[in-house]
Amino acid sequence: MIPLLDVRGVRKSYGRTVALDGVDLTVGEGTILGLLGPNGAGKTSLVSIVAGLRRPDAGTVRVAGIDVTREAPRARSIIGYAPQDTGVYSSLGVRENVRFFAALAGLRRGELRARVDAILHALGLDELSERRASQLSGGERRRLHTAIALVHRPRLVLLDEPTTGADVRTRAEILTLVRALADDGSAVVYSTHYLHEIEELGASVAFIDRGRVVAQGDVARLVAHHGTTALELTFDGDVPHILRADGALVDGSVARIPTDDPAATAAHMLRELGSAAGSLRGIEVIRPSLESVFLSITGRRYESAEHAA
Amino acid sequence: MNAARRVGVLVAHELRLARRDPTAILVLVVFPVIMMAFLKPVFRPALVETGHAHANGAEQVVPGQAAMAAFFLVSMVTFAFFAEHGWATWDRLRASAATPREIVLGKSLPFLGVGLVQFAVVLGTGVAFFGLDVRGDVVALVPLLTAFVASLVVLGVAVTALCRTAQQANAFGYSGMVVFGAIGGAFVPFALLPAWARTVAPVTPTYWVMRGLRAVILDGRGLAAVVTPTLVLVGMAALFAGVALRRLRFDDKKVGWA
Repeated sequence: MIPLLDVRGVRKSYGRTVALDGVDLTVGEGTILGLLGPNGAGKTSLVSIVAGLRRPDAGTVRVAGIDVTREAPRARSIIGYAPQDTGVYSSLGVRENVRFFAALAGLRRGELRARVDAILHALGLDELSERRASQLSGGERRRLHTAIALVHRPRLVLLDEPTTGADVRTRAEILTLVRALADDGSAVVYSTHYLHEIEELGASVAFIDRGRVVAQGDVARLVAHHGTTALELTFDGDVPHILRADGALVDGSVARIPTDDPAATAAHMLRELGSAAGSLRGIEVIRPSLESVFLSITGRRYESAEHAA
Repeated sequence: MNAARRVGVLVAHELRLARRDPTAILVLVVFPVIMMAFLKPVFRPALVETGHAHANGAEQVVPGQAAMAAFFLVSMVTFAFFAEHGWATWDRLRASAATPREIVLGKSLPFLGVGLVQFAVVLGTGVAFFGLDVRGDVVALVPLLTAFVASLVVLGVAVTALCRTAQQANAFGYSGMVVFGAIGGAFVPFALLPAWARTVAPVTPTYWVMRGLRAVILDGRGLAAVVTPTLVLVGMAALFAGVALRRLRFDDKKVGWA
């Protein structure tokens, strides 16, 4: 069976900056692929290449078997794409915005009306359908932005950080809808830097870091394979030498110690530190999760990688 | 869904956006009418002096101001494109089933209609309220004005292709209106222009439309008199289209207004 999305060896550079360095991915019907990575990891470059907006320097992208570079209009007709920046026509009403893109996708008359009504309802916009987009709150605009991408029920959905800047309700509605889309058979590529959203969606995951896919698979398997519990000790100033000698991973004022028994390890470390424990600012137990997968693979905490990007 | 239907959807959408903010379209009509009221008495002696004893001034000022104001179309077309960048909807259009050619057609074709309606309204106002007498064949104005408006619309697409920011396009639009209007004989009668201006005037679309308009309105001539101006304007439109095709990059990041 042909995967809905098949990405092979995609490379892309902007001048001397390498954005994508040989990316391979496949996404089948009814699945959600969480594209995870810190800001600047290459997620947006990849999504825009899949959407046919940019040409890769090398490699191929096929959507339902159609080469996106060679047959862009045909491929785009089965893609629903919500870019990272909210894009709506402020002077038009909510319904007018959605209707325009539905009509451009080829929907007509009764089917167009039904699809527009359905997507407005699914994203809690039916009460606001006649309101101008300029009068919407940030979260409402984000929902409208997402509705535009989904109104024609695309087989491949590309959502580039859809919940960035979204309020709690918007975020919940988008996650629910994404799950429903996959249940209806669509393939969803969901780019985000929020790890917990992927855990909530139960999506499979591709970690992108510095333009490469560094880990791929379903959440449970990745966590089982790479995720280990770690004890993280943060100090005022440098990590005491004794911890370095004990084989802890040291990153500035933070020391991380992989362990199966964090309580016992913490007690042991406090004894070892002796008077140096006075400079200890905090102890945190990092449970196996996507975050610890990222830590295990890259040697960096996801949060700090995001800040560094 | 065929290409024609997608272009139709884009045209309807562009007109809907224009209806929501009709200021620019109103300027196309209001600006020349105000100028006509001020300038009509000034040009009667000039026209009489250049051998048109029957003229009342409207024969220069009505078509001249209409042709000058029509240059706003260049700015309107560039705005239509740059606004998509400002609203962050450009990538959405590009990611739709519409091809780049359909998007350009859908966004620019409405302005062809807007320009022709502008000429109809301004010339009609000239006849009704300013004593404009079209002595020649009115039908001859149709191909002439269609070619002129088309050249301006395509020039707008070419300017969009060449400019990176909305401010650059805006500067071209406004300075182009004044310079092309003045040199092309829309602001003052061509015969009164200095020799150097008369020499360079044929590089402007305004010169050719004014030449055709003068022939029909002032000299009472018909279709034969507009063939050359119309063909030159079609040629200019083709030249601007060539520039647009060569330089318009759909993945360029442009800086819009919004």
